[in-house]
Parts: sequence; structure tokens; C-alpha cells
Amino acid sequence: MLTQRRKLAWPVVALAAFCCVVLFAGFFAPYDFATQDRDTPFAPPTAIHFVDAGGTFHIRPFVYGPGDSGQSAESSAQGSDQPYPLRWFVLGAPYKIACVFTSRAHLFGVARPARIFLMGSDGYGRDQLSRFLYGSQISLLAGLIAAILSVAIGILAGGIAGYYGGWIDELLMRGGELFLALPWLYLLFAVRAALPLHISQWQVFLLLISVMGLIGWARPARLIRGVVLSAKERNFVLAARGFGASDAYLLRRHVLPQTYAVLLTQITLLIPQYVLAEVTLTFLGLGVGEPMPSWGALLSSLQQYSVLSSYWWMFLPALLLIPLFVVFYAAADALQELHKSVPL
Amino acid sequence: MRYLARRIVHSTLLLFAVSIFSFAILQLAPGDFFTPIRLNPQISAHTVAALRSQYGLDKPLPIRYEHWLRSVWRGDFGTSFAYGTPVAPLLAVRARNTLLLTGTSLLLAWLLAIPFGIWSAARRGKWSDRAGGILTSSLLTVPDLVLFLALLLVAVRTGWFPTGGMMSAGFEDLGVAGKVKNLAIHLFLPALGLVLATLPPLVRHVRSAMIEVLEAPFVRAARAHGIPERRVLLCYALPVAANPLITLFGYSIAAMLSASLLVEMVLSWPGVGPLLVDAILAKDVYVVVGAVMLSSVFLVAGNLVADALLFATDPRIRMD
Amino acid sequence: MRRIRLAKACVVLIVAISCAYAGARALPSHASDDRMIADGTPGHAGGRLVIALRSEPKTLNPALALDEPSRDVIRCLTADLIHINRESLKTEPALAKSWSVSRDGRQYTLQLRRGLRFSDGEPFNADDVIFSFQIYLDEKVDSSQRDLLIVGGKPITVVKVNDFAVRFELAQPYAAAERLFDSIAILPRHLLESGYRDGTFSRAWSLSMPPSQFAGLGPFRLKEYIAGQRVVLERNPYYWKADRAGNQLPYLNEIVFLFVPSEDAQVIRFQSGDTDVLSRFSADNFAVLQKQQATKGYHLDDLGAGLEYNFLFFNMNDLAAQGPPEIAKKQVWFQDLRFRQAVSAAIDRAGIVRLVYNGRATPLWDQVTPGNKLWLDEKIAHPARSLEQARQLLESAGFSWKSDGALVDPHGNSVEFSILTSSSNAQRTKIATIVQDDLSQLGMTVQVVPLEFHALVDRLTNTYNYEAAVMGLVSGDADPTSEMNVWLSSGETHLWHPRQEKPATAWESEMDRLMQQQLVTLDYAKRKNLYDRVQEIVAEDLPIICLVSPNILVGAANRVGNFRPAILVPYALWNIEQLYVQ
Repeated sequence: MLTQRRKLAWPVVALAAFCCVVLFAGFFAPYDFATQDRDTPFAPPTAIHFVDAGGTFHIRPFVYGPGDSGQSAESSAQGSDQPYPLRWFVLGAPYKIACVFTSRAHLFGVARPARIFLMGSDGYGRDQLSRFLYGSQISLLAGLIAAILSVAIGILAGGIAGYYGGWIDELLMRGGELFLALPWLYLLFAVRAALPLHISQWQVFLLLISVMGLIGWARPARLIRGVVLSAKERNFVLAARGFGASDAYLLRRHVLPQTYAVLLTQITLLIPQYVLAEVTLTFLGLGVGEPMPSWGALLSSLQQYSVLSSYWWMFLPALLLIPLFVVFYAAADALQELHKSVPL
Repeated sequence: MRYLARRIVHSTLLLFAVSIFSFAILQLAPGDFFTPIRLNPQISAHTVAALRSQYGLDKPLPIRYEHWLRSVWRGDFGTSFAYGTPVAPLLAVRARNTLLLTGTSLLLAWLLAIPFGIWSAARRGKWSDRAGGILTSSLLTVPDLVLFLALLLVAVRTGWFPTGGMMSAGFEDLGVAGKVKNLAIHLFLPALGLVLATLPPLVRHVRSAMIEVLEAPFVRAARAHGIPERRVLLCYALPVAANPLITLFGYSIAAMLSASLLVEMVLSWPGVGPLLVDAILAKDVYVVVGAVMLSSVFLVAGNLVADALLFATDPRIRMD
Repeated sequence: MRRIRLAKACVVLIVAISCAYAGARALPSHASDDRMIADGTPGHAGGRLVIALRSEPKTLNPALALDEPSRDVIRCLTADLIHINRESLKTEPALAKSWSVSRDGRQYTLQLRRGLRFSDGEPFNADDVIFSFQIYLDEKVDSSQRDLLIVGGKPITVVKVNDFAVRFELAQPYAAAERLFDSIAILPRHLLESGYRDGTFSRAWSLSMPPSQFAGLGPFRLKEYIAGQRVVLERNPYYWKADRAGNQLPYLNEIVFLFVPSEDAQVIRFQSGDTDVLSRFSADNFAVLQKQQATKGYHLDDLGAGLEYNFLFFNMNDLAAQGPPEIAKKQVWFQDLRFRQAVSAAIDRAGIVRLVYNGRATPLWDQVTPGNKLWLDEKIAHPARSLEQARQLLESAGFSWKSDGALVDPHGNSVEFSILTSSSNAQRTKIATIVQDDLSQLGMTVQVVPLEFHALVDRLTNTYNYEAAVMGLVSGDADPTSEMNVWLSSGETHLWHPRQEKPATAWESEMDRLMQQQLVTLDYAKRKNLYDRVQEIVAEDLPIICLVSPNILVGAANRVGNFRPAILVPYALWNIEQLYVQ
């Protein structure tokens, strides 16, 4: 038991830490996600120096500011020799914490006109790191909402279908196939087109992803039904039924717990899937609208050959997601093991 | 047998429902195929109206649906607005190519996912399992389009594979062996792309299903009896873990079909993908409905097979 | 009856002979009398060209094709009577070797070339011309060309003068009459007439038909179509042009059109040498290709501004009667010239050029792009971006700013509106995002709403439920007559306020008058003056706020000779009969 608990610990701690950073994205991000710096589109990550041109070592790291002309990305990357030290806890663009408090404090920053792009800048000269952090908020939320919606309906439909069988099963499963087969893209187009023009981009996006979540119940439902079909015939379930246990009790106490592994795998797969589904949505113009950032929007810029072949730092958001997903799966894995060790 | 007959009747009803709902949903989004022409300064509103009425778009939905049903009866599946020809022959040629691609990829993906998932489950927690986890997560984070573009780049830079199409010019003159070889070399890249795009979820499912079973007392007992590990995994654990996997099989067909859209676009595979994407964006509705019907048939068939397999492998399940 | 049979026998004989000749690569004897001499440098015969198309051609029927890939292929297969030279943007003889205009400017008599043959060897004469125009003008066919051929509210009438002369009669003098004939493909009567009589014309020349059913007067003819993969064209041995050295055109033996649905895949395959010619690609990809221009065997051309103009416009429809009240309220701003001027002054056109098009675009202040040298009004001012001036304009219109910098109108309503763009057009969405940022510096709250194209057009032309939009239009021709529907207040594509019964503003009624007048004025200098004034109105009264015109970018393998791309469609392929491979 204890070892299992410990195994669970590190991924959960890592995830919690990440969520904290995301929650206070405004503090950790040096800039606002929408601030354009039109002189530096596609700027590479800013180099942080300790040793200046004269060979002197500085305790406080610094960056070089833009050149006097400051027009093209090339010249500003090298820039002038004017060093701008990196400062901690600086005042910058205002942001909101939890939609209530306004703050201007940022973890780090450099004085203007220098800029610090730790992950480079995008095609509008916006800081990628800030966009990644702010984007995490909406993407995680969207993935979670959609996955929970799908799985919740999936459990309900799959459990009932598998347990009662007969015409209910047939109806629900054919209904699921219907849901899988229909051209939902047009529904999304229609929902987007029907929404009022002044509703905010976040709301539009959460609405669209929720629609996707609602539509996506069929696959988890079918998986759960398969397990339930088998589980309800197990000896101990039959025995409990023999003792006169009610259907609701049986489902809750004996049948559904057996679907745990499948369920967990589903949720852990669905969250990244919905997060990434946004790449496709963005491709179709249904993603989070500009200038709002999201993971899907960040990843979808990679889909252009020109970006893919010219700007390696545009891969950084994708690279950051890999360890995140690994931790995520590790947490799910540990949960599954924990569940195992708890006797049914 | 009776079960099968009943399922087929139900599936036919389902296909009807799919067609009705597809029509309704397509109707929901504003505008139709001829709407964009309104922005052409050289074409008058009168002509646009005439075109719409020529294709029956000015009629109410039920009547259009009835016309469509009649054309299904004739084997046409409606007329494409863009091509001005019946939909069925348009789809038929391309569906064959898509099936070849997705069928091959489906087979490959499962053939890879099962051993990889079992291996990963058996070495759970070891570094090799972790490495596998990192690999599948990184595959998940790469958007499909990027993956396919990368494959195209590989093909272009190395020159080892053809960069598009399904057959070389002069295909007809090749012998049987030559034809197969020519097809295979064209098939390699798109199939690889599809396998890489669909593999991670499959591996994770196999792995988790196996882990679940490997903890069961009977496996421990089998191991205690000194039965070789390989035999334990393949002959004892795998059949028990098969239940969710078989269910998944039916759906992986649907997932494969939708992933093939992009692969066909990027690697120029002459399948339904480019036709369908064009039709979706242009609102060439009968082509869309035709393609939806086609994929529903595959989905329904896949699920039917999956249910039959479920029945066959798990004696606890009763079908009636 | 007998004579006809005899004639047929003769035709068969001639076909047989000419086929034999064609095989030997000699000049078919019959074509010698009336061939046209093309002015490019003589090249080598033989070889083939591979070109990628964004999507499959949908049909090869010129009367029904609406999409660009179909038209690209059809252009290679067919010919027109009078052609617009893509390089000079002026008309030149094609199937008509000469023409005369009656004194009142309403009758055009065209002399056709003699001894020409369709690509299947059948002879061409005036009956084919009459038949073709009969089809294009038939209301039941619904060809997209029909509207072009209606002049002064009446369809053009076509009369056969003799076997090699036809006369066109117009209801009123028409300045661009010669240009009408461009891209109106002459169809073979012998192949299509029976289908037309049976009412099956709408299915004729779909791609599923065997190549033997097709014939045209273009430089190439259909050889093979493989669904989803490629269209192959072969040299038309009966083509009616020759080069200066007297060699029969076209030079190429074959053209292969591959279907490569994504732009990036097209670029990658061009880069690797899989395809020979590339057009219609983005400035970003231009930059990528440019890096390897020296080492790989291709070269790129930036032809400067094309005929596309992108613009921002506000909803100025009369929404008082019906329509959403909250938009009607905002129209008070939109209809105020000073508001529009302020918006125009605040937009960073140079920034759009740099960020959206990598510098490969031209900022615009009116609808005529610098690429259209015949009609550009040089006098239009190009004011630089000035937030200062924008603020002054807003202030003079009674707007003011709250303490947090938000702009409010004289009634205290904060200035908020949305800009629609097409979700499938990444560039326009990017433009809108930059405009949004620019206007936020004036204190306006702007939302960019990308909509699926059909939904967008539905709002713009049908429900009028929008506030502002970024759109682009591509002139079909350099001549202003192709823009009639955009500038006439009764026009369908008078986007900001279409289909007006009578012009809503004084400047719209002036624009109506100018456009109508230039249509019937035959003298170029006078027309230019009239259209200059239209451009001035657009720049001053800002019905649309013109932003940018993307440059036309093309690329070709170095081995392609006579490559002379132009800014009018089909950019790189307009002289396909003269392209050759070295």
C-alpha cells in the first residue's frame, strides 16, 4: 500500500506544481499574450549572457537590447552592445488573478526596449512562453471538460446498455454508432455561425469543445458496455443478485468498479486527445480565436511548412507537452495500481 | 444466425437514421454550394438562383431527401454539384484506394500495438516501459499534419520513396509481381503515417488491459506452476485481456478512416480524403452524405465483427 | 445527303494523312494557310512538364466549370476568338484573325482563321462559333459566361456572315467588347450538338468520359485521366500557332497535372524537382524556397502586385427597417466618414505587408493595384499611418476617451465591434488580427470572428447580420468593366450596401454615373479619367478601406524555357504553347 502511495506521489506533485504555474500564468509570463512586437516576428529565443563583450563576468544575467535600427529580426537578435540585466519581480503588463484581482507583478523581465523571449516569438512578435502559459489555462480546462462530459455520458449509456442488454442495449449502441457516423463538423460550423458576434473567444471555444465532448460519448460507452457485459456474469455478481441485491446496488457496487481500468485509460487518453483536437479545430478556423492563445493554436502553427522548416523554436511548445503527457500517464498508471491494491 | 439477421436489420435502420440526420445537420450550417459564387462580380444573382433551382436546392428538405432516396435506389447517391456527375462512381474509385490504405494500416497498427503493449505491460515500471511511454506521448503531441509533412520531407530528401500517388506511370504494363511491388512502395509512406498516428492510443489500451489481467490470481498461479513467461502472456493473459481490445477494434476502423483524410491530402494518396475535404469545405452535400454513408457502413460492419468476436472469445457474454 | 457523305469521307482521309504527318513531327499541310505566329523565342520540341493542381478538375466542360483547377486544364484544351495577352494586358487576335467595328460601336465582324482543325482533326468554321455562343447564351445551360455576354440588358446576338466570318451585335456601344471574348472557349459542334439537343449537355465532358469524346482548339488535348491522381494532356498536332522559325507549336509533348491537395506538399514537391512550375503559394513558402534557389535547379519570380485587393469594410446597409438593432445603432459610427478615415489612418499597412506577407505585398489606398498599369491612378495619396491624426478625426466627430483609454461615442456608448473573416483564409484572419491590435490603440474594442466561408458570405449578402469584415476581391480582368457589379450601387457585390434601388449617398450616385459612362465610352484616355475619379472616391469616401495587395509569386524549374509569368490568371501558364524544356 505504502509503496503504491509513494509511486503515485511524484506525478501528482508534478502535476499540481504545473497547475499552480498555470493558474498564476500572468505572474510567470513576462508579457501579455496579445502584445505584438511588430519589429521582431519569429525572433529566436533570446540569449541570456553572463559574460559581456569585454569579458567581464556578471552575477546578474543580462540580454542585449535591439540595435539602433531595430528593424529586422536578424539585427535585433545580435542587437547593440547595450546590456539589459534580467530583473526579478518586475512590474509589467497588468493581468488578472482568478478573474478578480489585478496585478502587475511578473516573476522576471527586462527593461524596454530590450525584450526577453525565452521560447522565441511568433509571427506577430508575441512572446511564445507567455502564450504557452496562458494557453495552458484554456487548453487544460477544455480538455478536462470535454473528457469528463464524454466519459460521464459514456458510463451512463455503456453501463445501462451492458447491464440490461436486450433492446436497450441495441438502441443505445446503434445510437452510439449514429453519433460516430454523423458529419459533426457541420454542426460545429453551424454552432459557430449561429453564436452571437460579441460573445468572447473563450466562451465560443469552450462551447465548441463541450459540444465535441457531448458527441464523443459513443466510444467510452462501447468500451464500458463490453466490460459490463462480461462483469455482470461473474460469479460474485450472480451471487449478489441471488441474494436479492437491487440493480442500482449491483451496478454501483460490483459491476462499474470493474470498468475502472478501461475508464481510467479512456480519460487519460481523452484529455490529450481533446487538447489536440483543437489543432484540427484551429485548422478549420473553429479554434480559440485570435489573439487568445491555446496549445492547439501553438501546435497548429507547426503545420505550416515554412514554420516547420525555418523556426526550430516553434517546436518548443510541443516539446514541453511531451513530459507533461508522460507525467500525466504516469499519474494515471499509478492510480490504476492503487485501485488494484484496494480489494473490491 | 437470428442474432446476425436482427443486427443487419437494425444496421439498415441505423443507416437510414444516419442519412436523415446528415441531411438535417448539413442543412443547419448557413449557405449552400452556390453561396460563394455570389461574391463573383461577373455572375448575376439570377444565374445563381437558376443554378440552385437546377440542382433542386430551392426545394424544402424533405423533398430533397426523397429525391436523394430515389437516386440511392438508382445507385447514383445524388449528383455532385461540383462535378455535375453521380456521386456513387466518384466515390467508388476512391473508396477502393482508401480501403487499401486503411486496411493495410489497420492490420499493421494492430500487429504492432499488441506485441508492443504486451511487452510494455510485462516490463511495467522498468526503464524500457518508461521509454515506450515517452515515445507514445511524443507521438501523441505531434499533430498529424506535422507528422505527415515530416514523412513527405523524408521521402523528398532521400528519394527512397515516391512522394505521392498510388501507381507509377506505366503501371498497366507491369507484370503481377511488378504491380504489387509498385503499389507497395507507394503505399509504404502513407501507411507508415497512419500507423504512427493511430498507434499510441492502441498501445496504451493493450498495455492497460494486460496490466489489469497480469495481476489476476490465475496468472500468478500459472507463473507459480513454472509455465514460461511468454506462454503465460500470450496463452493465458492475452485472451482474457482481449475484451476491451476487441471492442476497440470496431472503432479503430472509424478512427483510421478519419485519420486517412489528412494523410491522403499531404501524401497525395488518391483516396476519398481530398474529395471529401473539398466537398466539406464547398458544401457539396451529396458527396459528403455519400462519404458519410460509406464510412457508416464500415463502422457498422466493424462493430458487427467486433461483437461477434466478443461473443466468440468471452463465453460469459450472452447475446440474447 | 451525298455531298455530306463525300465530305465526311474527305475528312477521314485528311485525318488519316494529318495523323501520319503529326507522327513524323512535320507540319500538317492544311494548317499552313492561316497559322498565327507567336512572338516568343523559338525552343525545342518534345519533353513534358509536370504541374501540381490544388484539387482535381471537376469537369472539362467550359460552360459549367466554376473552379480554378478545372479552368486551368480547360485553358490548355481550348481557344477563344480574341485573347487578352497576359503580358501586355491588351487584346490580340486568336481564332479570329481580324475584326472590324461598325461606326456606332455596336457591331463587331470577326474574320476567322481558315483551315483550322479541332484536336480530333475535324475542321473548324463559323458554325462552331455560332453553336458555342448558342450554348453560352442558353438560359437552361446556366453557364457562368452568360452574364458576361449580356450587354445593356440584352444578350449579344451572333450572326453567321459566311463560313469564316461572324458578326456580333450589341444592344449598346461597349468599351470592353473585345475583351469579352477572352476565355470563351469555342466548342466543337460535331461532338456536342447531339447532347445539347437531347438535353444531356450538363453531363457532357465530365471527366469520366473517354478522351476520344473531347476535342478543342487549344494547344493540347486530353490523353488520360486517373481519378484522384492525374490528368495527362498531349500535344495537339492540329494546333494553329507556330513560332517565328516556322515550327509548329506547342513544343511540349505532354503536360501532366498531378493532384496535390495541400499547398505545403506542393511546395515540397516543387522543391524536390517533382514538379516543374509552381504558382499560387504564400510568401512564407517563397522565403523557404528562396534559400535553396541557388543550389536546386529552380528559380522564383516575384511579379509584384496582382489584381487582388484586400480591404476592410463596414456594414452600411439600411438596417433601420429590419436587421439587428444593436448593429443599426453602431451604423451611426460606420456611416460617419471621419470614423472611417480614423480607422484607415490607424491601420499599419506596412506592418500587414511585413507580418502577413513577409514584405511580398503592396499596401493599397484604393482598389486598383500597382500591377494594373493601364488603369492605376498615380495621383492617389498614400498617407502614412498616424494614430495622432486618427485621434483628431475621432475627436472632431465627437468621440472621447474614458480614463482607462476606452473610446466612447458622443452618447457615451463604448466603441466595440467585430470583424468577420473567412476561417479558411489564414492571411485575412492575420490581417484582421493586426487591424484589431491597431484599433485597440485608439481605444476601440474589436473582436475578430473567423467564420466558415459559406456562413460569412451568407451574412454579407443575405442576412446583413455583421458589423465589419475583411474581404478580398480578385478582378477577373484589368479592365474596369469586370468590376461593374462592385461599384454600381445596384450591384450584387457592392459589398458594403448591395442592391440599392437608388444610391444612398451623393458619392455613390456619382460613382454610378462614372461607371455607366466609362462603360459606353470607347476612348481609352476618356475612360481612364472617369475611372480615376472612381478611384479617388474610393480613397476619399472610404466605402471600403483598401489595405493590401499580395504579390504574385511563381517559380519554375530552370529547364523550363520561355517562362514569362504574368499577373493575370493563369499566371505562369498563359503561354503554355510556347513553354519548352531544355
